[in-house]
Amino acid sequence: MNDVKKEDKSAAAHGKCMVSRRQFLLYSGASAAAVSTVSISLFPGTSEAKTMKAKVLGYPRKLIAKLSDLKDHQPVNFNYPNDGPNTSCMVVKMGNVKSGGGIGAKSDVVAFSYLCTHQGGPMQGTYKAVEDQRVLGQCPLHLSTYDLRRHGIIVSGQAYQSIPQVLLELEGDNIYAVGMMGLLFGHRENLMES
Amino acid sequence: MATNYYVPEDSVPLPPKHADQLTTACDYCIVACGYRVYRWPVGSGDGGLTAAENALGVDFPTHALQAWVAPAQHNVVMHKERPHNIVIVPDKETTVVNTNGDSSMRGGLIAQKCYNPKTPTRDRLTRPMVRIHGMLQPVTWDFALDIAAAVSKHVIKEHGANAYSVKTYSYQFIENTYAITKFALRHVNTASFTFHDTPSNVTSTPGFRDAGFDNFGPSYEDWGAADALMIVGTDPYETKTIIFTQYIMPGIHRGMKVVALNPRETAGIAYIKKNGGLHLDVNPGTDTLVLGAITRVILEKGWQDKEWIDKWVNNKWESNSGFGQGTRNTPWQWRTTWGKFQTKGFEDYKKWLFAQKEYEPKYAAKVAGIDVKKIYKAAEMMAKPRANGRPVKASFGIEKGGYWSNNTGTTNAISALATICGAGGRPGQVVGRFGGHQRGGQSGGKYPRNKSPEKVEGRRRRSLDTDRYLVSGHTRLAHVIGTTWIQAMCGSQGLHKKFYELVVTNPHQVRSHDKQEIIDTLKKRADSGGMVVINQEIYSRDPITSRFADIVFPAATWGEEDFMRANGERRLRLYQQFYDAPGEAKPDWWIIAQLAKRMGFDGFDWKNSNDVAEESSRFSRGGRKAFHMIKVYAHRNGRTLHEQLRMFGTDGIQGPTFINDKGELKGTKRLHDTTLTEAQVAEMIGPDGAQAATVIGKKMTHFNTQTGKVNLQKHPWELFSDFWEWLSPKKDELWFSTGRINEIWQSGFDDVERRPYVTQRWPENWVEIHPYDAKKRGIESGDRVMMYSDRVAAFKDTILAVHKDHFQFSELMKRGHIELSKAAVTAIAMVTPAVKKGVLYANMIDLKQPSNSLSARVVDNVTGNYRFKMGVAKIRRMGDSPYKKQFRSMSFAPRNIV
Repeated sequence: MNDVKKEDKSAAAHGKCMVSRRQFLLYSGASAAAVSTVSISLFPGTSEAKTMKAKVLGYPRKLIAKLSDLKDHQPVNFNYPNDGPNTSCMVVKMGNVKSGGGIGAKSDVVAFSYLCTHQGGPMQGTYKAVEDQRVLGQCPLHLSTYDLRRHGIIVSGQAYQSIPQVLLELEGDNIYAVGMMGLLFGHRENLMES
Repeated sequence: MATNYYVPEDSVPLPPKHADQLTTACDYCIVACGYRVYRWPVGSGDGGLTAAENALGVDFPTHALQAWVAPAQHNVVMHKERPHNIVIVPDKETTVVNTNGDSSMRGGLIAQKCYNPKTPTRDRLTRPMVRIHGMLQPVTWDFALDIAAAVSKHVIKEHGANAYSVKTYSYQFIENTYAITKFALRHVNTASFTFHDTPSNVTSTPGFRDAGFDNFGPSYEDWGAADALMIVGTDPYETKTIIFTQYIMPGIHRGMKVVALNPRETAGIAYIKKNGGLHLDVNPGTDTLVLGAITRVILEKGWQDKEWIDKWVNNKWESNSGFGQGTRNTPWQWRTTWGKFQTKGFEDYKKWLFAQKEYEPKYAAKVAGIDVKKIYKAAEMMAKPRANGRPVKASFGIEKGGYWSNNTGTTNAISALATICGAGGRPGQVVGRFGGHQRGGQSGGKYPRNKSPEKVEGRRRRSLDTDRYLVSGHTRLAHVIGTTWIQAMCGSQGLHKKFYELVVTNPHQVRSHDKQEIIDTLKKRADSGGMVVINQEIYSRDPITSRFADIVFPAATWGEEDFMRANGERRLRLYQQFYDAPGEAKPDWWIIAQLAKRMGFDGFDWKNSNDVAEESSRFSRGGRKAFHMIKVYAHRNGRTLHEQLRMFGTDGIQGPTFINDKGELKGTKRLHDTTLTEAQVAEMIGPDGAQAATVIGKKMTHFNTQTGKVNLQKHPWELFSDFWEWLSPKKDELWFSTGRINEIWQSGFDDVERRPYVTQRWPENWVEIHPYDAKKRGIESGDRVMMYSDRVAAFKDTILAVHKDHFQFSELMKRGHIELSKAAVTAIAMVTPAVKKGVLYANMIDLKQPSNSLSARVVDNVTGNYRFKMGVAKIRRMGDSPYKKQFRSMSFAPRNIV
């Protein structure tokens, strides 16, 4: 296992924190306070918020976009958690539709991996908005479709897990990627040396 | 049991170089993709990131379509009583079925199926149990078996064999079904015997059988090799996923056009439409009319395949010719004695069809609720010669939406349409079922039809309807193997009530420590008109196990024993044992053998599952998956049957199997292949035909009929129309139909409750409703709704029909054989235009919210199959469900976004 280099060695603390963050995302509901963003509601208080970066161990904190630059339904591409293979991701503002793990005033800004978790099919260009539903898919390989309002859960298709969701934080106008929920296709761990 | 609190993992152990590798196939749907099991002891070291360091032989991170291990594909099991890691992934090396290692979500998650007390599989049945003082208590095998044998013998002796009802799966491996049928049919010899999906032991597709088509003649390759493919009553992307992605999708890319009949627009149908296909969104039960109308248009335009019809359709004399005893005793002639189906050949059929006003396109379109232009368009796509005059190569595939509504009518109509289009006997021009469960049936006895007290008008007795027989109070012992019986049938809440009455309210309940006293109590139950229940299962089912079973036998299953089975193209594989069965669980063949020996039956002295398979092989001869010659070949080479199949790995071999004159073992790509040359046949079976143990059926190169040619049959609408019209929604009722969904197709028996990810996606019963119908009732996606009816028709009596029409619905109603009962089922509403206006579409068989209770418990008047897809219901909003507001579980995104 020494062939994996994490940016921080305290894996136990990292894991503990990541579970709580994943759980936060899964357990949050549309009925939760609408103004909250992930960072504020999870770690209220300035001292907590300050230590947060250190707590999300392993995953880098990466500036991926400015909120004011995002246009509705126009995904912005980035790589995460590093620039290695299979790290293509996108962040999108989904037109004022509140979503699981969403940030911004309307909780409508979310980010996901582009790689289908079934066989790694590329899903660039498959973002779709139909009424109040937001999906990624169909995957060109075997037609899997994922629900972007619900943490990337499979809508229809073949995948073994949800499309990995990138955890976001908002600081002023800056959107940071701070972690990832679910294993990227083709990886043994998300933070592996490529 | 899994909850919908699912947290994804973000790492996975890789199999190391020293991992054992075993092949198997998926346990779930008919397609049966090939899988590879990697097994290595816990603590022995995991694989590394480079190809040299892991058993997959690939460098990580891997690329699209390369091997990969998802976290859910890893598990820890006991093997030889020591903990082992297992990784189960689609076999990247297989050259058949799931070529290149494609997989469905069901198969992809199959590692989670294995028993591991840390996972939601912890409630596996692991001990034999007897209900004492109302509780199922663990006992020894001897204690449970002695009681079961003594009570069974008593019931058969005192009340006759038919009082001993056996309800079993038809598919869960050849060794088990052989043992069960040998016991039930050969030894107990009960007519009260049937399979999991029908109340009586009858053919699923009468029209195919009578026309001469084998249900599973085509090879998977054929489904992508036509110019035009018609799909009736299913979306193969939802069900049969890998046939869709590996064969139909590439066919569509090559230009194949698809016509689909289905009340819903699902993901596959949306894809079909986007790629030049046509969706006929018919009302439930109206496929017969639409198919007949399409046939009529083709004949009016003269687009039929004249050459094929001349050569391969029975004419007047051939229709009447017989073999052996003559036509009188064939199932075909038995059904046609009323003169309702038989024709004198093509011209006679055409004349009949043109005389039926129901098959005028305008009428058919109106009843089906579709645009009439679609009927003309479908006819054109399926049969109009292409620009250069080249005839269309057409294929036809059906599934339960078609044949579980108007069973006889629709299967006859599709057979007729397919035949005039020249389909059925050539590569890429095929007719068949896409399939449901895998084909794991091998009969060890003959069904004693003459012992059935039920007879339809005409000459023959009909297989006993086990539900009506039970409702009539004749069943004294219900032996239930691997099925819920109750929820799997129609009008199931009425059936539940009767079980309760016969089992629970009977005063003779076990309240003793003493074996003999327990036996005597259960005998008294049976003698007093009550019923005793024996249940073989892998999990406790509510209510059959948890509330009704007196004796429970824990079964070992997939991965826990070496088993054989065939798939939807007759491909036989060995499903290898790779870990220890939990606790004292035993395979069903072993349980049956122990019970049979105690009951004094001979021929149950098998030592292992290979013994059972080898005994069963000779009975497979002549059948579509004949595997006898694999055994002969194996023995010639000093191997067992199972060892031989193990060598074939995930590729297996397609039945029927032969040994040719060179001593080579050969399989069969497709049945009814009229294009096979003499030389090709000689290559399969030798130049001199069948030798020694080989049996060659005419189905290899001809059809399964008296002449080897196709019987073109009528499909009179009036046999069904009285039921259809009576059932049609009144006032605020909607059509109620049910079906399956990709993520839980044919896997509901364990994965829906025990895979956290599947549970998160589909936590409970759901119903699709069109926005128009929803708005009228104030229903939104995510609302909890009540679906209910006081018009669930239940056919309740075991009867002898004397005059014609006695089994016709309107006649049954007039004579008081139909009881109207109530049903109520809850669900989560999904408002979507993907379902037809006026139609509700719910999950088929949610154990806790049984949709089938709303379907009419009235069988097809000719065959005795249920019309599972036919019901009506009212629906009202109860309030919000938690899924409406949170984002963790379920999804309300429509499946037809492309």
